[in-house]
Amino acid sequence: MPFINELIKHSSCSIVGLEKNTGKTVCLNYVLRRLPLDKKTIAVSSIGIDGENTDQVTLTSKPEIVLRKGMFFATSEKHYLMRRLVSELVDVSDENTSLGHVVTAKALTPGKILLSGPSSGTGLKRWMDSIKDFGIDLIIVDGALSRMSLASPAISESMILSTGAAYSANINTLVQKTAFVVELINLEKTSESNCRIMDQINNGVWALDQEGLLHDLKVSSSLSTDLKIDFESCRTLFVNGALTDNFLKHIKQNRVFKEAELVVRDFTKIFATPLVLKSFVSVGHPIRVAQKSKLIAVTVNPTSPNGIVLDSDKLCKTLSEAIQLPVYDLMKN
Amino acid sequence: MQLKQLLDSPCRLRYMIENLDVHSRFSRRLLLDSEMMTEAIIIENNYRILKAFHNVVIEKQSRIPIQTLQSKLCRLKGIPSTIGRLAGREILDDIELFEIKHLALLSSEICQSMATLGLETVVSIPDLEEVVRILDPDGMRIATFLIYDSYSSELKKLRDNMKNSEVFLEDVFIKASAIEDEIREELSLKISAFATEIDQAQQAMANIDINLAKAQQMVALDLCFPSISFDKQTSYEGLFHPEVKAILQQNNKDYQAVDIQFEQKPTIIIGANMGGKTVVIKTLALCQYLFQFGFGIPAHAAKIMIQSDVYCTTSDEQSIDKGLSSFAAEMKNIDTIIKKAREGSSILALIDEPAKTTNPVEGTALVSALVKILQDKDISLVLVTHYNINGYHNRCLRVKGLVNGKMNYALVEAHEGEVPHEALNIAESIGIDSEWISNAKEILNN
Repeated sequence: MPFINELIKHSSCSIVGLEKNTGKTVCLNYVLRRLPLDKKTIAVSSIGIDGENTDQVTLTSKPEIVLRKGMFFATSEKHYLMRRLVSELVDVSDENTSLGHVVTAKALTPGKILLSGPSSGTGLKRWMDSIKDFGIDLIIVDGALSRMSLASPAISESMILSTGAAYSANINTLVQKTAFVVELINLEKTSESNCRIMDQINNGVWALDQEGLLHDLKVSSSLSTDLKIDFESCRTLFVNGALTDNFLKHIKQNRVFKEAELVVRDFTKIFATPLVLKSFVSVGHPIRVAQKSKLIAVTVNPTSPNGIVLDSDKLCKTLSEAIQLPVYDLMKN
Repeated sequence: MQLKQLLDSPCRLRYMIENLDVHSRFSRRLLLDSEMMTEAIIIENNYRILKAFHNVVIEKQSRIPIQTLQSKLCRLKGIPSTIGRLAGREILDDIELFEIKHLALLSSEICQSMATLGLETVVSIPDLEEVVRILDPDGMRIATFLIYDSYSSELKKLRDNMKNSEVFLEDVFIKASAIEDEIREELSLKISAFATEIDQAQQAMANIDINLAKAQQMVALDLCFPSISFDKQTSYEGLFHPEVKAILQQNNKDYQAVDIQFEQKPTIIIGANMGGKTVVIKTLALCQYLFQFGFGIPAHAAKIMIQSDVYCTTSDEQSIDKGLSSFAAEMKNIDTIIKKAREGSSILALIDEPAKTTNPVEGTALVSALVKILQDKDISLVLVTHYNINGYHNRCLRVKGLVNGKMNYALVEAHEGEVPHEALNIAESIGIDSEWISNAKEILNN
């Protein structure tokens, strides 16, 4: 498969499902089966619990995660003891999950595991940094239901998106909704100097004026539109938290922000609807991100858990045309 | 009383603990759970160990070996529940066996570091080489674990089978798992004989971490080793409060250390406002705790008597959660002190301006009566007041006060009834409205 070649160029990749049962675990197993282990040392983990035999929410059957000899993996204590392979334990971390500490091990034989890695984005980042000591070349992270924000580009360099009938049962709607997410993922990265400013800001909304001075607009999040403006004209607006419709409309109406660039931390922080976002961009406001991960591929699962089956070929073709990227049905391949 | 219960005491013990560079989370927990020492022999022994660490810390050439030791201590993880299960002769799982192996290997590394520093006899770590040998059959001395092939030739055969297969062999895996279970049982049983040693090693490593941090704190904050007083007297030379000193230093100001000595009877401190009386009270409480938890003391020299408990009430206390006013909260606290004194326990009671929130007539009566009833009890009482307490023949100390327009914080002997009248001068010196002050002076003169 072509996207494996692309994947191994990066040091980390998260596999993100737009909805449960969009074939994320199938995608993970697909990738793990094909990675060239003679060239690369691979480590696998997930955000929170994944790899259950039965889906915890919809009680439908789910595939297990199959590891190959030599792969490293991180999972919770409870799931480690349930592993079905021979492995060597290399670390028990202080990172805690509801199923015990996160442990890291190396598979000595092929076999199956249940994945349940660190339950927060920062915990996962800590694990990713710590495991580099074992000479890992590529880290694969399995996202989980509605945890898009944790599978944020801040954590991984590249990304594979899984979508499918579970996200929407109508091909057109599915394509539209997926294309919007792809559009967000592909948002341009802002300048290095802006990235440095974003690194220093931990909360709130800040504006860089034409003179290059940074102003705190004294809002706790962009959910609030009560802005304190004591400058003439804004060049760049930095939004730390969620970017909402309400906030965008407010900025659009204010002359101070005319043609200002809007910078968000990463695409997962954008909660605005397509229409509002498009009309905001159309009046000359570029939206850029401080952290961006490269979208490598989009995979689809045409079957939804409630039995709806979409036409696979048509879905792949329509979606591929809409997003200008190859789309794969891994169930079929 | 455990250290963690005293963290929020008004004397700011928290500052000292937060400034303690303990490297393992387990050591910190052990420290916070430690009980206040009340026996001379235990305190002496504790300072003997600390002294040995202090001697090493002040040596220049120890810097790098200490850093090496501390990087090892960072890896110390407490495994009390695993050790508990081991002692109960339960069968441990792979993760627990990994933890034990990790601890055993770490203890041998730390032993080496301690020997380099010449401290191996100060805190002795039990030898866990036998445990390492059991859990590391191939002698790799790497802190990883699995049920190794070398434990059983049959297991090795099955494993080789699995390793050479590209797919998961369920039947072989089940057979191998059964053998692994037997080995786990055997290993657990063998190691359970060392449960006590493993526990002791864990505690010893935490103690090394704590003592090293205390010794470094002594050097950083210029603290001293106290001696134990057996003649019912406590005395400090050059006493200071480390946090207040640090704040003053940040503002480029000097801290004036004070000398104070008191016995097992009431000592009354009087003196001008802004004379550092409350700081003295808080520092005395802090020092007593530091002494009985085995830390360095913020003074040039200290001779401290052991107390069974310390009570420190400051005037700014208010018990909002209990719905008590500041006056009621204070009265309740002092009431506890009286009760303890009546029980005959030897305590250090530090009371800052009692009854100052009520009217001066009743206030004076309350404080005089308090001193009177505590006079013949077996407690060390240091009390700060602005009230004129007469006729009880107590020892009285006075803050020297304004000398040439500058505050002198030294404590000098004073006579009863010698309450200074410096409030107006001080208010004037800090630039308070002159009309107000001159009006007050007029009223006083009339």
